[in-house]
Amino acid sequence: MIRPLWNTIRGRLLAYLLPPLVLLLAAGVYLDYETGAAPVRDAYDHALASAALAIATHAQKGRQPAELARVAAATDALLHPGARSYYVVLASGHYLAGEADLPVARVGARNPVFFDAHFRGEAVRVVTYSLTDPQRLTVSVAESTAERDRATLRLLVSEVLTDVVQLVGTVALVWIGVALALRPMLRLGDQIAMRSPRELSPLDAQTAPGEVRLLVTELNRLFATLGEASRAQQHFLANAAHQMRTPLAGLLIQLDLLIAQGTDANVRQELLALRRSAQNLAHTADQLLTLARADPAVHLADEFATLNCGKLIEDVVAQNLDRALLKGIDLGAQIEPVQVACVPWLIREVLMNLVDNAIRYVPAGGHVTVRCGVAGGRAYLAVEDDGPGIAPDQRQAVRQRFYRVPNTPGSGCGLGLAIVDEVARLHGANLEIGDCGGVGARVRLRFPGAVELPSADTA
Amino acid sequence: MRVLIVEDDEVIASTMSRGLALHGYVVEHVSSAEAASAALLSEQFDLAIVDLGLPQEDGTSLVRRIRRTNKTLPVVVVTARDSIADRVDTLDLGADDYLVKPVALAELLARCRAHIRRARAIANSKVQIGSLGVDLEGRRVTVADESLDLTRREWLVLEYLATNVGRIASKERLLDAISSAPQDLSLNSVEAVVSRLRAKLGKAARIRTIRGLGYRLDDEP
Repeated sequence: MIRPLWNTIRGRLLAYLLPPLVLLLAAGVYLDYETGAAPVRDAYDHALASAALAIATHAQKGRQPAELARVAAATDALLHPGARSYYVVLASGHYLAGEADLPVARVGARNPVFFDAHFRGEAVRVVTYSLTDPQRLTVSVAESTAERDRATLRLLVSEVLTDVVQLVGTVALVWIGVALALRPMLRLGDQIAMRSPRELSPLDAQTAPGEVRLLVTELNRLFATLGEASRAQQHFLANAAHQMRTPLAGLLIQLDLLIAQGTDANVRQELLALRRSAQNLAHTADQLLTLARADPAVHLADEFATLNCGKLIEDVVAQNLDRALLKGIDLGAQIEPVQVACVPWLIREVLMNLVDNAIRYVPAGGHVTVRCGVAGGRAYLAVEDDGPGIAPDQRQAVRQRFYRVPNTPGSGCGLGLAIVDEVARLHGANLEIGDCGGVGARVRLRFPGAVELPSADTA
Repeated sequence: MRVLIVEDDEVIASTMSRGLALHGYVVEHVSSAEAASAALLSEQFDLAIVDLGLPQEDGTSLVRRIRRTNKTLPVVVVTARDSIADRVDTLDLGADDYLVKPVALAELLARCRAHIRRARAIANSKVQIGSLGVDLEGRRVTVADESLDLTRREWLVLEYLATNVGRIASKERLLDAISSAPQDLSLNSVEAVVSRLRAKLGKAARIRTIRGLGYRLDDEP
């Protein structure tokens, strides 16, 4: 089953862990950046100040502007490649050389003074350096910041990458760790899922992890209660079956005797009608009991056994043969040797029901065939006939309890296919209701697996 | 023919008794396993009908006791217990048949007839179905007291069918019956033998083909 991620323990752990981890990462990156970027800035500023000092020293020695330009070009090489640099020299506040519009800071207690500015459309870092000589020479040198920005960016990227790798590593470790820690719980879940829904034996509480031990204990208590209830129910049903069967058996056999003794024709008709009603009542009681006993809540797991389908068909056909012959129906079989794991009496009940239905509804001269075999690796039992069949729009409805196809002749209680459906579900089998190439009816029970028999065993 | 009914339900017991009496059986009814044991010691019966849910001693232990002292008496169990386990256990103990209540009188009569016939066939080595007589010891077949000539294989098939009257006999089992080395013969040869046998028996007996399963000799012609 696919559950949304946030509804798993892993998902929740991640949801609780991920935001704080991301915050921690951000804080880490910020701190690393701050401590890493300051030296870079200082190194760049130092180079800028050196250039300013070199130009100022030359200017003090009274060099001409042309010479100063050459010095500036030389110091430019001291600065960083790829960065554009500008300079201006003032003497007693008057322009001496360089770019006249380059900003100059007022030099006070701090000398040199660094500041950020905009010059000719780009961001620049500027240093202003003042000599304390009589000429009051002041030099400003500026450098475009693109280069130093790139350097700090490289630093930032490398730090973020390291931290992201750490974060991913941490999350992966948490993910794997949680998976390992949850393994016993998942095993427990599998153990419960693998059990047949009818299995009510207790789970092993000792090997369960501490966190779920209480759950396992409570589950076991529930299993025990359910088991007890189903045993009580079964006991009750067995008693009820006996208590109902005996008087019904008495009623029916007395009617049989009355009919056999031969009375006048009118009374005989009444007696036959009375017998049919009593027979229906007995049939319905039997069907209800079967249905109740096939209830999934009833503990049937230890009733599972291997059943030879061929032998079952032989038995069921033999039991119904005289009834079929009496109605002029050709009842036959087609057996491909196969065994299934099932509750034998339930499957027998199902097959009896299906054959009974077929004989009930197929007119004289019709054919009923009981089949077993393997198709697609799955064993199947089927009853096919060439009678009126079940219309496609009725095939779902007939699985309901007490449903009878409208205008069906004869008397039935509408439980036959409901029982078959219930029993099929109990065995994890599919009940397919269809026809035989557009004719009649085919009711097929496909089991989840098959145990094939060597053909010699069927003899 | 004498039948012992062991049944504690008065209504069912007396009705079964009268029903069987109507068809010529002499019936004795007891309502406990102890009384049944006493009756079986003092009298001869051709068949016993036993209910499982008896007061005090259970019907299953009665079946076991009957089998220990009398190997041939046919025992038909008629009970309200319908579980496969009960059915299998009781048949394993030696009961010849297991019917779940409610039982139709006609079915009970048919079963009684078949079991008595089978027991007699074993006792007398002779099966009689209508006008057909099969002498198992003398290996002789008669139709209306006229002797009928059969080949060895035809005889073996009829012998098997006659000792299993009213039951389905698979082709494989018939093949085993006619040949000591069944792998030398095909199932078709069984079909051929049966069809010749049918022609010879004519209307005296009816061998039905049960599609996909085999043949059955009807117990009423």
